Amino acid sequence: MTRLATPLALLLAALAYFVPAAAGGTPVVYAACTTIAILAVMAYGADLILSYLGEVSLGHTIFWAAGGYAAAMLSVGPGWNGWMTAGASVAIALVLACVLGWVTLRTREFVFSLVTYAAAVVAMEVAFNWSFLGGSDGIVGVPPLQLTVLGRGITGSTNAELWPVAWGLLMLTLLFIQRFRQSRLGTSALMVQMNPDLAQALGVDARSVRFLVFVASAPISALAGWLYAYQRAYVGPDMFESYFLVLMLTAIVIVGRRLLLGPLIGTALIIVQQTFFSIGGDGDKIVLGAVLAVILLLWPKGLIGLWELMRVRRAS
Amino acid sequence: MRRTRLGRRQFTFVASAAAATLAAPAIAQGEPIKVGTIFPQSGPAGPNGQAVANAVKIAAEMINAKGGVLGRRLVVVSKDDESTPAVGVTRANEMVAEKVAVVIEGWNSPVTLAMQPVLARADVLDITAVSKADPILAGQANPYAIRLNSSNGQDGAVIAEILLGKLNARRIGFLTQNDAYGNGAQAVIEAELGRLGKPWEKVVVEQFPFKQTDFRVSLANVKQAKPDAVVAINAAESSGMPALIQQYRQAGIDGVFVGAVGTILPTVFKIAGEATTGIVSADIYFSDLPPFDKIKENIEFVEAFRRAHSEAPDKGAALGAAALEVWASAANAAKSLDRKTVAQAIRGKSVPGTVLGDVAFEANGQARHKHTIFKVVDGKTAKIEVMK
Repeated sequence: MTRLATPLALLLAALAYFVPAAAGGTPVVYAACTTIAILAVMAYGADLILSYLGEVSLGHTIFWAAGGYAAAMLSVGPGWNGWMTAGASVAIALVLACVLGWVTLRTREFVFSLVTYAAAVVAMEVAFNWSFLGGSDGIVGVPPLQLTVLGRGITGSTNAELWPVAWGLLMLTLLFIQRFRQSRLGTSALMVQMNPDLAQALGVDARSVRFLVFVASAPISALAGWLYAYQRAYVGPDMFESYFLVLMLTAIVIVGRRLLLGPLIGTALIIVQQTFFSIGGDGDKIVLGAVLAVILLLWPKGLIGLWELMRVRRAS
Repeated sequence: MRRTRLGRRQFTFVASAAAATLAAPAIAQGEPIKVGTIFPQSGPAGPNGQAVANAVKIAAEMINAKGGVLGRRLVVVSKDDESTPAVGVTRANEMVAEKVAVVIEGWNSPVTLAMQPVLARADVLDITAVSKADPILAGQANPYAIRLNSSNGQDGAVIAEILLGKLNARRIGFLTQNDAYGNGAQAVIEAELGRLGKPWEKVVVEQFPFKQTDFRVSLANVKQAKPDAVVAINAAESSGMPALIQQYRQAGIDGVFVGAVGTILPTVFKIAGEATTGIVSADIYFSDLPPFDKIKENIEFVEAFRRAHSEAPDKGAALGAAALEVWASAANAAKSLDRKTVAQAIRGKSVPGTVLGDVAFEANGQARHKHTIFKVVDGKTAKIEVMK
């Protein structure tokens, strides 16, 4: 069963392609599904750090925003196409991640979180005040996404048109995470987190593992930001706001860490509640906070903890 | 076959219903037209956004009583943008799905800027009621943009006139909300101050985010700078602005507190009370002052708003109502609900029959206004005095 879990998860995610059409195919459904896919990819970036390094990065909004700003500036200014802006988003995120990864190399736990958060605050202030990045106005007039895939042109001027791209990005992310889990880097990261003494005894360089995982996580969130810029057609300093930070961390924790579909299901639960079952801005925040508190208090492993508890009870 | 006869009571009912139908020439019929509002209904700007959304509903009832738009009733769909651009985008998508004929939106400029492309791509007419940032009318995101509130440019000239003309201030400070609205407003005020040609000096600038409510550190810096006047640009009129005014008084700063245009709203008086005495500011609408106290639509609107909410409408509310009235008037005149046709009947034209009287629009969709400069003489009772 365990051996089948990963292919099954990937199959489920692949079948998600048909969800918007099955759910009525209305613009709101396509908008919600595209947003879920984009925000889930954003969360997978932070998930790599939280699940496999055991650290809480409060700075992943930097990479998310970097992807968005790169897409907006390069498509509005020099008129680059989607592939070129995607490449630039990844490159910029890698450079920023190298700097931030190097700075936080010696930090652990609380200090790591604090330093990454401080970096996000600095980045937000820079974006707010630097006219080169559009200042507090941000960048308006981002054109629809233009991509050529296998000789076919894709235009993303509506959410229905963007959905295949968002779903494709989500699938690529899932495949990457799955490969990462099986890779030497992934297993070393887990070992460094779970049993640092063993890792040291086996000659694993904890610092380089932490650095590489951090750098690998950045382009994931950046590509989510890249697509978000095209979906929204506007990029502003609000991409650094706590709304996205809280969303990505909650999405990971709510279902359970180190689960391939965890961040996707978490994001879907939050966005579906906010879109289709909203009880007002204040009410939504109370629901989200209360649900998170209850889950973490009763089942610290997330909803998967509840599932395991039920399985044990049924077995006994 | 059984014949039915009308009894006397039934006959009276049917006859009076028929008479009522004939006597009411302007009851809107046909399939209702959906109109949307997207404003903050929660968070720091929640109470202000609620006032605007409520005002649009009252305006819709007034329009319906006069025959609706193209003979059809208006139904208002209201949504909460939570002062968050990402949420605003979701709500804008929902409005597109609701197939609304027009969306009246915008308290926070970044939220408006984020929603504009969504509505424009879906070909839904989008009227900005309050948000002030300049790029809203730049045409990149929405070539048919329309805005009811005064622009930063119009307001900047008035604040510059207050500072140098009325207060003769030389040492000027700024307390500025750090976003599209705040920074834009400050830049325009500085440009207008330069244009007046009188000597002045910028002695302090303190910036803060929209949601901030503790300004004590910033105010200590302001006090040290010994300004003659301080311009406060803060759009959180239900939380940040009243807190800023109270803390300004507690800090014992001597310089005159100059509220940016349209920021000294009833919510500010309600929360900050006595601390507002002495504030100088300007605005474009006062429910009971000339010329609005003579406008038939405004008198009706103020009465209806008071009946429903036990208070007079503020500027935001009046702008919301006027936005719907402008759209309704233009749609009726153009005999169309088409986005482009209605927008062209508004942009660069004068639209009659609103709570603001006849509203003239620039070619870029910006409404023209006449500002009234005032001083608060008693904050407790919200008594103001017009400065000539």
